[in-house]
Amino acid sequence: MENSAQKFDAQVLSRISTLKMTAMNLVEGLLTGQHRSRHKGASVEFAEYKDYSPGDEIRHIDWKVVGKTDKYHVKQFEQSTNLKCTILLDASGSMGYQSPLKDQHSKMGYACTLVAALAYLLLKQFDAVGLTLFNDKVVEHIPPRSKASHYQHILHGLTNIPPQGTTRIDDVLRGLAERLPGRSMLILVSDFFVQNQDLQKSLKLLCSRGLEVILFHVLHPDEIHLPFEGDIVFESLEDDPTLGLDPKDIREQYQKTIHDHINSFKKDCNGLGVDYVFLDTSEPLDQALSYYLLKRKSLIKL
Amino acid sequence: MSLNFSSPLFLYGLLGIAVPVLIHLLTRRQQKHIRFSAVYLLAQSQKRSIRKSRPNRLLLLLTRCLAITLFSLALADPFFSFRQSEAFLSATPTSIVFILDDSYSMGTQVGKRTLFDHALEFVFEGVKQAPDKSEYSMVLASSPARIKQDWTSDKTIFEKVLKEQSVSFRTTRIGDAIDQSIKLLDSARQEKKKIFLLTDLDKNGWKEEAFSKITHLAPYPVKVLNFSSLQSDNNKGMVQSAKISQEFLTQSRLLRVKVEIRNFSNILSRRPLSLFLEGKIVKEELLNIPPGQTLIHEFLYPLRRNQPLNGKVQISDDALTTDNSRYFSFHPSQNIKVMVVDGDPETISHRSESFYLERALNPFSVSLSHIDPTISTLAELPLRNLSDFSVVILANVRELSPDYELELENFVLNGGALLFGMGDQVNPKYINERLGNLLPVKLDSQYQPKEGEPPLHLLLKNNTHPVMKIFSPKELEEMREINFYSMYTIQARENKIFKVGTWFSNQNPAVIEANVGKGIVVLFLSSLDRDWNDFPIQPTFLPWIQRWTQYSARGLDSIFRQNFLVGETFRQNASGSDSNWIVRAPDGALHLLGNEEEVFSNTFQPGIYHLFSLPSSETSSAIQKTLAKIPNGAEPAGTFTVNIDIKESEPGKISQKEIESFLEGMKIEIQEPHSQTATPKTSDGIPLATPFLLMVAGMFLIEGWMVRKE
Repeated sequence: MENSAQKFDAQVLSRISTLKMTAMNLVEGLLTGQHRSRHKGASVEFAEYKDYSPGDEIRHIDWKVVGKTDKYHVKQFEQSTNLKCTILLDASGSMGYQSPLKDQHSKMGYACTLVAALAYLLLKQFDAVGLTLFNDKVVEHIPPRSKASHYQHILHGLTNIPPQGTTRIDDVLRGLAERLPGRSMLILVSDFFVQNQDLQKSLKLLCSRGLEVILFHVLHPDEIHLPFEGDIVFESLEDDPTLGLDPKDIREQYQKTIHDHINSFKKDCNGLGVDYVFLDTSEPLDQALSYYLLKRKSLIKL
Repeated sequence: MSLNFSSPLFLYGLLGIAVPVLIHLLTRRQQKHIRFSAVYLLAQSQKRSIRKSRPNRLLLLLTRCLAITLFSLALADPFFSFRQSEAFLSATPTSIVFILDDSYSMGTQVGKRTLFDHALEFVFEGVKQAPDKSEYSMVLASSPARIKQDWTSDKTIFEKVLKEQSVSFRTTRIGDAIDQSIKLLDSARQEKKKIFLLTDLDKNGWKEEAFSKITHLAPYPVKVLNFSSLQSDNNKGMVQSAKISQEFLTQSRLLRVKVEIRNFSNILSRRPLSLFLEGKIVKEELLNIPPGQTLIHEFLYPLRRNQPLNGKVQISDDALTTDNSRYFSFHPSQNIKVMVVDGDPETISHRSESFYLERALNPFSVSLSHIDPTISTLAELPLRNLSDFSVVILANVRELSPDYELELENFVLNGGALLFGMGDQVNPKYINERLGNLLPVKLDSQYQPKEGEPPLHLLLKNNTHPVMKIFSPKELEEMREINFYSMYTIQARENKIFKVGTWFSNQNPAVIEANVGKGIVVLFLSSLDRDWNDFPIQPTFLPWIQRWTQYSARGLDSIFRQNFLVGETFRQNASGSDSNWIVRAPDGALHLLGNEEEVFSNTFQPGIYHLFSLPSSETSSAIQKTLAKIPNGAEPAGTFTVNIDIKESEPGKISQKEIESFLEGMKIEIQEPHSQTATPKTSDGIPLATPFLLMVAGMFLIEGWMVRKE
């Protein structure tokens, strides 16, 4: 367990510990937390008035309003709740890409740090965090817990990832949609190198179940810029056929394709109200995450 | 329909493909293997990329190889022939006789090759295609037609014999070749038999007498392949003859070369004519030869030295080069020293023999005849040194000085010539007794036709004697009309051999000759003045007596003036001599003739042949028939020239009808080699050199563009 903890950059964790993760939408939670609940509850924050009906607590009747209007109105308060978040980490072969050019973060390492950071953040807010690793199927599932010690489980789960197999996000999401608690948060970390899969449909399904979905699209700069030179035989990390070519010949087209790929995701996500975060592994993770959380905070409806 | 090449040697240029391959291999980049995540996106990009057509290095290699290939092909001058190639031979084994016309007319050029080369190639291809177990033989149709290769089934042997063949300088004898072929086919093993006659159908080769000699015309199929159809250019002309004579003017000597040039074409031919002497051009003239006519041109060349001259006349090249030159050999005559012993000198000069003989032997003040006569009387005779003379003429001599006959005998035995002329002074008794060793006959008695009887005449039935050869039929007729009023009859001596040169009309010999030792004795049985005949005042007397003098003198004269045709036999007329002879052919080959052999028949090459005499003593067993160089002691003995027979140059071709009439009973099929396996001409198909070169240019442009993009 110590080994797994050491694997993650402590500096990163410390930098982001001050940040708070707040859910944009109302989430359902069992524990009282800092998130607004769909239910009216016992928080001090006023939400609205409601006509009194028998059974309502009398202490919530606003007597000032009764004095003015001679009608019984019950004061309702915002219900604070904690968040139940499931992080889905793509553990397919493509996530194991490591650049042959220079010693940079591996994509998987970057993604794991991201997951660890998010988990730490959420747990610190007393939110429940779970972790699901998948490739073409779910390979490991750690159910959401809000205990601080649960972080160790998450980290343990992250250390045991040998990236392998093909990506079948579509199937995995459809399977999980039934099992995930409604009105919770789903964070999906992947490179989204998927072929012939209707990801939009699956996301729609999740959204319809009231889940807040955040997509972290993690790509290595090599995968964006294709900086290789010379005659190269590209061997797939998944199950694509081997391809020999001179990258110079297709670089422009590839860059266009990958940007189209990213943009189409962005567009789909916007349409579904899904948060889409693009992460380039060359960009320091703390910066990227800070930027995203600050941006998210600024958009919270108060 | 096939792709053919005019210059297939250039196809070796295809080896140049190795260069771009080497460049490709040497500059090949190391291929790296990378494990990548988005290979399917790469594949998609590759499909979509507009640069996917961008040539890669393999394409560059391909372009370069293609450019070199096309360039080599273009140099090889390719052309696409739509000709249907027929099956050359049936699938069943066949006995085939190839009659190859190797006469010089087959040397006609078609491009850079001759008709004969095409014919050889045809046979090569034919043998290649022929089914196994077929057997082949080859007959060469040049004169004399001969079997070059008897039946063989071994293609390698046959091809080897084929490779050795080259076009000859001979004429054609198709009839004899057919005869030989039929005999060959009679002995052939296979049931299926065929004759392939590869010729240019030159009319000269189809002589009726040759066909009439054919013993039986078996009904074998004969395929006649007319290679003259390949000719793009015709034989435009030839040097018909070159005659040499010596011109005597007052002070200087000139060599007169009279050349006849024939123009075969229908247009005025403007061709340069060159005179070569000793291998160098000494004169050149540009001649306008009227169409279809013969032009006579004379060169005059001053003779500066009294040495033999060998040369040739030559016109500019045309399709057939063989007949464009003609060789000649000229020896400035050496004077023959003749002593005329007048046995009956008269005070009136024109009554004596010496008067006529002197004028006949040397008509002019300068030596025109190259005979230098010296008149001597009997009294002066002992004072003369006989070794200074080549010929002694005893004209009407009664008796010689005592013991002088022994000197004469020695003179003849050592190679001198002795000519006797009869007359009223001749004492038969003396001659028969004292000159018995020299004369092969005994003089019998004087014969005179009786009164009322016609005078005697010379019988000149055939003029095969070397002396008589030069006389034309008209001149012979004149000689026959000469009246002879008196002559001596003779009796043969035992064990003596003599020849009768000419007969009288009364069946008595007129001229007798006999070889004695190294020399010769000639007996004219009438007088050499006008006492017994009218001969001395006849125009024919002059050449007649000169020829006899030259003949008997065994002067080189009789040899070096000889001009032969290719294949004719040279006879050296120094019979009785015990020398060996060496002939040096134009190609430098030496042929040794023993003293028994007087005939040299290896005259198949036109040019100048040099003759050397080699004393018998010099001839040891070490000297073989084939000599490396002329041995020491051999002396030049003259030259003779061999020229081609111009009949073969005549442009006339034999027609199919005539061939069928000659070979009646045989299955004749006349075809052009186009329809067979022989290489077609460029004109048969579409030339591809230009399109190929354009493609090469295109390839290089593409290659340049690709390199720039690289």
